[in-house]
Amino acid sequence: MAQQTLLSPAELAYLHSSLSLSPPIRPDGRTSKQFRPLTAETGILPGTNGSARVCLADGTEAIVGVKAEIEKTADPLGDDGERYREYVKSASGVGGGDADEDRREARGEWLEMTVEIPGLRDDDAGTVFLAELLREALLADGELARKLWINRRFHWRLYLDILLISPPLSYPLPLLSLTTHLALLATRLPRLKSEGDEDPMFDDDWEAAPFLYPRQGAAAGSRPSITLLVVAVGDSILFDPSKEELAVADSALAVSLCEVRRERGQGSMEVDSGRELRLVAMRTIDPPSRLTPPGVPSTANLAASGTADVPLQQKQQQTADEAPQEGVWKAPLGGTPFAVLDSIIQAVLEKGGVADEVLDGLEGVDLT
Amino acid sequence: MKTYQTVTKEHQSSAQGRHNSIVHKQASSLSLNSSHGQNSGALLPPSDSSPRKRPPYSQAMPITILNPQPSTPAPRRPRAVDIDMDVASDSDSDSEMGGAAVQGDVQMQDDESVDEDGDLDEEEADARDQILTPGTVVTSNPQWMRGHGTYVPPSTTNITSSLAGTLTRTNKLLSVRPLRARYNPEIGDLVVGRIVEVQAKRWRVDVAAAQLAILQISAINLPGGILRKRTETDELQIRSFFAEGDLLVAEVQQLHQDGAASLHTRSLKYGKLRNGVFVAVGGTGGGGGVVRSKRQLWTMETANGGGKIDVLLGVNGYIWISKHLESDVAAEAAGINRMEESVSSQIYSSQNNHIDVPTMREIARCRSVILALVENGIKVDEDTVTRGYLEAVEFGRESAEDDIYLGGERGQRLAAALSGR
Amino acid sequence: MADRRRINGPGGSTLPPVYDDTELDAVSLRQRAPDAIRPLYLKTGVTPSASGSAYLEIEPREGKHGSGMKLACTVHGPRSLPRSAPFSPYMVLSTHVKFAPFATKQRRGYLRDSSEKDLGTLLETALRGAMIADRWPKSGVDVVVTIIEGESTRQDAVERRVEEWDAMNVLGGCITVASAAIADAGIDCVDTVSGGVAALVADKDGGELSMVLDPVALEHESVLAACCVAYLPNRDEVTNLWFRGQLPSTGTHNYQTLVSKAVQASKGVHGLISASLSEVIENSQA
Repeated sequence: MAQQTLLSPAELAYLHSSLSLSPPIRPDGRTSKQFRPLTAETGILPGTNGSARVCLADGTEAIVGVKAEIEKTADPLGDDGERYREYVKSASGVGGGDADEDRREARGEWLEMTVEIPGLRDDDAGTVFLAELLREALLADGELARKLWINRRFHWRLYLDILLISPPLSYPLPLLSLTTHLALLATRLPRLKSEGDEDPMFDDDWEAAPFLYPRQGAAAGSRPSITLLVVAVGDSILFDPSKEELAVADSALAVSLCEVRRERGQGSMEVDSGRELRLVAMRTIDPPSRLTPPGVPSTANLAASGTADVPLQQKQQQTADEAPQEGVWKAPLGGTPFAVLDSIIQAVLEKGGVADEVLDGLEGVDLT
Repeated sequence: MKTYQTVTKEHQSSAQGRHNSIVHKQASSLSLNSSHGQNSGALLPPSDSSPRKRPPYSQAMPITILNPQPSTPAPRRPRAVDIDMDVASDSDSDSEMGGAAVQGDVQMQDDESVDEDGDLDEEEADARDQILTPGTVVTSNPQWMRGHGTYVPPSTTNITSSLAGTLTRTNKLLSVRPLRARYNPEIGDLVVGRIVEVQAKRWRVDVAAAQLAILQISAINLPGGILRKRTETDELQIRSFFAEGDLLVAEVQQLHQDGAASLHTRSLKYGKLRNGVFVAVGGTGGGGGVVRSKRQLWTMETANGGGKIDVLLGVNGYIWISKHLESDVAAEAAGINRMEESVSSQIYSSQNNHIDVPTMREIARCRSVILALVENGIKVDEDTVTRGYLEAVEFGRESAEDDIYLGGERGQRLAAALSGR
Repeated sequence: MADRRRINGPGGSTLPPVYDDTELDAVSLRQRAPDAIRPLYLKTGVTPSASGSAYLEIEPREGKHGSGMKLACTVHGPRSLPRSAPFSPYMVLSTHVKFAPFATKQRRGYLRDSSEKDLGTLLETALRGAMIADRWPKSGVDVVVTIIEGESTRQDAVERRVEEWDAMNVLGGCITVASAAIADAGIDCVDTVSGGVAALVADKDGGELSMVLDPVALEHESVLAACCVAYLPNRDEVTNLWFRGQLPSTGTHNYQTLVSKAVQASKGVHGLISASLSEVIENSQA
């Protein structure tokens, strides 16, 4: 997964033991739930429908541009689809409310997403995985695709292009997700002037263009999802891991969630600050720790013993005896216990937990 | 479709002016972060009962989102001279501003030199922080000799800069030190390297230079006596000494024609690294990074109940911070032969010793000090690290949780405290 | 992910035929109990030239147009890495998941598209946790899963976009068949990993939500959330967890129950793998 970080067994053992402490000591001194400071801005690209840029202090920088194009909706039944549907309707006797039915026919494929990571091919499995993960999270609540529906014949095709400016210094998932979130919040689509199924016509006043995700009012429904990368080392749950931390992680999980505002239909006067977090997607990330070189205990080390002719038998005995020794690195085997999964999800979703804070932070970014 | 085309145009033109006013609502509250400290210890998120008058940012925040800084030059970086026609003028111009023109002697205008970094060696203290760019003629006087970072175009005698950097004069030798560059190995440098490839009789080591350095199996201490002859068995089990990923400290023994360095670890000071953490910072040049100094390796007392720690600043910008092992001292006292025996059993070990929690904590603090120094463009040497560490200990006392993270605004405070003296 | 190496015809401009069948809205409802998985057929050692192989078939649904999923997996290796590859203290695992061009309603190209690559990465994650990779240093293993036939059939999935939910079933099948093939190839594993899928579905009448094991999206009015796990039964751990969808905020249907249902499904599948492997051993001894 992603690029392999080369670390020595001694480093891995040190990192693992310091991160397993309670509270963990992270190599850069952050607390377990602390993110690296970000610099964020939106609306940086006037030629797009929406854009955002997020930088980390170490110089890692992501830019997301959103472009929308109109596309004719292909009828799965071909050109005869309309007639066919008429026929079905008359045959089955089901009619009316058809427009509402169609409205639901939004498709995930209307969102196209590419991730460009310098130094990696764009068809690299890791990049594809990252793009699919983010795409899945955005589409999981079904809201985004529905917003792209214009009428029965046309829809918006949304191109979401994520660009990393330099090769990432850690697994870039949280960075990309936060940038995408901001870009979508800043995205506006021209206001539709035409009605019904006629060819779409749009208001040419950009100022009148509504946001894809309306800001306030009763219409304020869902928000784009965010995806957080969480790793477990020993009993510690760490957010926003650096590459060193990821390299010793026992398990890593990408948790996507979206915020649902409750005030819908409750009357626009009521501004309900209580948000509801909803888990929309989750994926295990293959932790790179499984591919790290194992440490050799001093007792079994041929070079350390000083003589070259240690019986081979003895060495094998040592390796077969897999009891973990203190200070010796051993790559984790097996999967993630359920208790760890539960505590990760709890840490993400709990009221006032990390996701809450991250959303608060994102809220503070001014949208232009 | 056509209708949308026009819409797009309108959208672009009307959107032109709307992107530059990016103000962050909570920008002012961010400064409160440090005084409140970050959330740590029990790792409890701020509870709902906490006063919510201020935006939740000023509380212990897991995430800090800043607004972009106005584009000011990075702090404590040499400022480039203002573009002036005279600078680019030909060599015999002797204008006031044309610091690049040299007639007979290297004379620079003091009024143009900027931002004393204090990281220049004594020998180059006379050379000012005048920035030369590639192609700038340094001098046409043939009495000077060209050094690194310069070239002489064919059929001229003009010494021309080939880098962006500052001019250095050593007797009659003119050279240009780049503002920022990869590490350039020199014989005798103490470097920290990482094995990236194991070959039949040698290792290839990443030392952040343009080429991988080479470590021959004949250039390491073999266990069981310093003068033991290398055998075939040693070659066969080459990975038991160093394997891919292992970190080591070594000295540059020799430079090859292509710029690659050969390393050796034939001293007890050198060898495999363990019991600590690694951090890579930029190499030579610029404001930040490790600079060559008298001592690259020292032992530091730590606060808060931590044991002694060793800080090893590789000249190549790779840094190793580890627990100090007392046994070394005992062995040194015991004389050279004893030392061999006691050390050899552990010299190629990849097993860490037991490290107590306070020491680990102080190691992490020291690492974050170095990161903060680099982030704020301060050079990394014994003096800055030691003083920065003491400063960081003070910072930690401000909050109950003893926060050791020094990113963002806290790092800037640390830098300010250091440079303010 | 444009195909740069050859020029294919325009994608998506053609439409597969739709058959005007008698019962157009014949949503063949789920006949199985909610906690029953479909019968499976698993056989290992089907490809003699490969180090290990397995074939998995899921029983077709009731009705004449049903088709089950058919998966074949071959494992090549452990074999020595190419000269150019860097040293690895471990076995290097690479996984490929490919739909046969005719496996789905819409024809698939020969090059792997992003969904296939995504499945490949998910499968790799699921398998890597189970394998004891340090037993085989400096060697490589290729796991190739071919989906010979997908689940969707002729008139299915025309208007109801259910393919996205099918991906979970495909991954579950891939994990199971790859696990059997790896065992057949004699590669050390900490446990036999098996895939299981569970979903929260809404049925047409009543709108009652229920959780089902081994869901077939077509059998239900709508799928709200689904979860695929790769489960190690003896260690009680998951090597891969893939969850997607929306769970109602109230009620007992939370993600934990969904995951435990998926685990239940994979336990059922695990029994099948063991049975199939022991059958091979018995046959070879007889």
